[in-house]
Amino acid sequence: METSFALTGKGYVLVAADTTSARSIVKMKIDEDKIKDLGSHLLMAYSGEPGDTVQFAEYVERNIRLFQIRNNYALRPSAAASWIRRSLAQSLRSRKPYSVNLLLGGYDVAAEEPHLYWIDYLGTSTEVPFGAHGYGSYFALSLLDRYHDPDASLEEGIATLKRCIDEVAKRLVVSPGKYKVKVVDKDGSREIEI
Amino acid sequence: MARRYDSRTTIFSPEGRLYQIEYAMEAISHAGTVLGVLAKDGVVLAAEKKVTGKLLDLSYVKEGGYGGSGEKIYLLNSNVIGGVAGLTADANSLINYARSAAQQHLLSYNEDIPVELLAQRLCDLKQGYTQYGGLRPFGVSLLYAGYDTHHQFQLYHSDPSGNYSGWKATCIGANNGTAQSLLKQEYKDDIEVKAAISLVLKTMSKTMDSTTLGSEKLEFAVLTLDPETKQPKAKIYRPDEIDALLEKEGLAKKDEDTAMKS
Amino acid sequence: MNSFASRFATTGHIQELKRAQANAEDDEFSDAAWGSEAGFGSLAKGVPSFSVPTVPDPSAFLRLHTDDHADPKCRIKIQHGTTTLAFRFQGGVIVAVDSRATAGSYIASGTVKKVIEINPYLLGTMAGGAADCQYWETYLGIHCRLHELRNRERISVSAASKYLSNLVYSYKGMGLSMGTMICGWDKTGPRIFYVDSDGTRLAGDLFSVGSGSTFAYGVLDQGYRWDLTDEEAQELGRRSIYAAGHRDAFSGNTCNLYHVKEDGWTFIGNYDISKLHYDGPNNVDGAGYGYEVRVGSRSQ
Repeated sequence: METSFALTGKGYVLVAADTTSARSIVKMKIDEDKIKDLGSHLLMAYSGEPGDTVQFAEYVERNIRLFQIRNNYALRPSAAASWIRRSLAQSLRSRKPYSVNLLLGGYDVAAEEPHLYWIDYLGTSTEVPFGAHGYGSYFALSLLDRYHDPDASLEEGIATLKRCIDEVAKRLVVSPGKYKVKVVDKDGSREIEI
Repeated sequence: MARRYDSRTTIFSPEGRLYQIEYAMEAISHAGTVLGVLAKDGVVLAAEKKVTGKLLDLSYVKEGGYGGSGEKIYLLNSNVIGGVAGLTADANSLINYARSAAQQHLLSYNEDIPVELLAQRLCDLKQGYTQYGGLRPFGVSLLYAGYDTHHQFQLYHSDPSGNYSGWKATCIGANNGTAQSLLKQEYKDDIEVKAAISLVLKTMSKTMDSTTLGSEKLEFAVLTLDPETKQPKAKIYRPDEIDALLEKEGLAKKDEDTAMKS
Repeated sequence: MNSFASRFATTGHIQELKRAQANAEDDEFSDAAWGSEAGFGSLAKGVPSFSVPTVPDPSAFLRLHTDDHADPKCRIKIQHGTTTLAFRFQGGVIVAVDSRATAGSYIASGTVKKVIEINPYLLGTMAGGAADCQYWETYLGIHCRLHELRNRERISVSAASKYLSNLVYSYKGMGLSMGTMICGWDKTGPRIFYVDSDGTRLAGDLFSVGSGSTFAYGVLDQGYRWDLTDEEAQELGRRSIYAAGHRDAFSGNTCNLYHVKEDGWTFIGNYDISKLHYDGPNNVDGAGYGYEVRVGSRSQ
């Protein structure tokens, strides 16, 4: 089942999402990237209704790019989160709402600090030290309550993330196979192998 | 010749000019002066009031509100002060628009609107009135003194055509040429707010028609960063604060004026 | 934009301003901006107008009349059961499908063409609603041709599939039922995209869609390699469809096989699944794919 995690550490945010696309009982694809780069210092993991996810993620991606072209500066993570939340909240009351859950991780270059936002399809947005969506969250949230450290180094953060992935692999009946993991810090975002 | 091409803003003259826009700018050059100076740690605005007289009831300015007598200098958002020169009624309309635009940005992005973006919003509106038929352009120039995290302190000017530009020090309204050449001579690149205040007041005293400065002819505002919260702090001076400031700067009225008034 | 102007909007001039500005903002990328509509009128518009039943909830209405699980007596039975597959390998793309159309428990046809020849370089497969697939993939063909005329080059498989996915996404929730693979060869080589009526669009090496897809995957996944020869690949496609036709009640009759190469697709052949079971593709007695045939006397 679709699962995504994210956690903050000292000067970075780690974002992980599984890479399977399933239709009924069949895995249609096992290497799908469900984390979008929204500019140089912003990452967004998305999950939810098939179709809506990619359409909404691309809608966000292009609007954020358009803002950057028009105004010659990139939205800070908090501003991007506000805009995305508002888009989802407006969509919720439309004829056909987007059913998409998001984890938005970014590095605020001006304030020199990492930020992580947990956003759901109802338009709830909250800043969190760590967050998760999907069935994996039922295992990962308690684990992160126990092991997360906001001042952890990147290595320690990755180790904590691995704990989450291993726990879900161990206990969830239909656990996802592989994960894609990306990190964003002062140098921008990049993919990391775990 | 010109008359055939100046009744509509949308029509170019054979020389490629838009007369209505030029007339609007002309109107502004007779309006009360507004002067802005950008400093390292803040921005200073001063303006000359034209509507004066001892029968004018300004009691509402003395307490409440955010300062200022509501003729020339306005708070557009917590991080931007605006100074206007031109038709007051047009200016009110633009100020209302600017405040709404700033709130709209806050609503969407949960941050104060960047100064340049606010200037752009107003200029988009102003430009529209130079192009669409049957509408009169806004007879207003504005100075925007603001702060944002992208470019720190900034000073912008926008005119009726919808052009805008950033400045270290500039002046609009009556005698703006004189003021600008004075500012060019006196401005230093790493000027601090304290010196900028002196520079602004000194320049105003030289360019204004009246020989002496006083709170009934002057509006004054400073934008700095609050040393504790690091948030922008806009201070628009009240009349008594202006008089106190002028006193301190040695530009206050001479005794004989005071005597005459009493 | 000009909220205060509209506060006093009584004159025609202000309406004109508003309209002009609204147009400038909304219609920036209208089709008119791209010049000619090439004489195709409404066909050339981004998303066509397609009428839906004039009832408050069109999809519920459609379900009411088509859902044979809930109501076996429903008046319209949409064809569902199918096996289709496509995979990419060193020598291009293999596309293989069955040919059975079922309506409820009734075999409506055994000779359905489930590969839609969009143009000489693009194939689409058909699973789900036969009419939906046929209509929209033909429609896609029109746009692929218009793309060629306008841009002086063939549309990429990626762009064509995205066009289709955006199109079906705009009808999401209104009852469309499609699961298709858009296959072809473009500048980047052989490509396959899976597109369905949820709006999902996935690029990949190997897909199978339909009620028999699990059976097809069982054979396909095990036999798949990138460096398959053309013959091996065709055999794998055929055998996978046979497997599904044999095991899935809603798939069967015959197998249609296509091979897409650099210079376009070719039709390889039509194979009777019963014949494949006993005699294999080359009609050799005893060379069939069937378990008993293959194992022979070793089977008890």
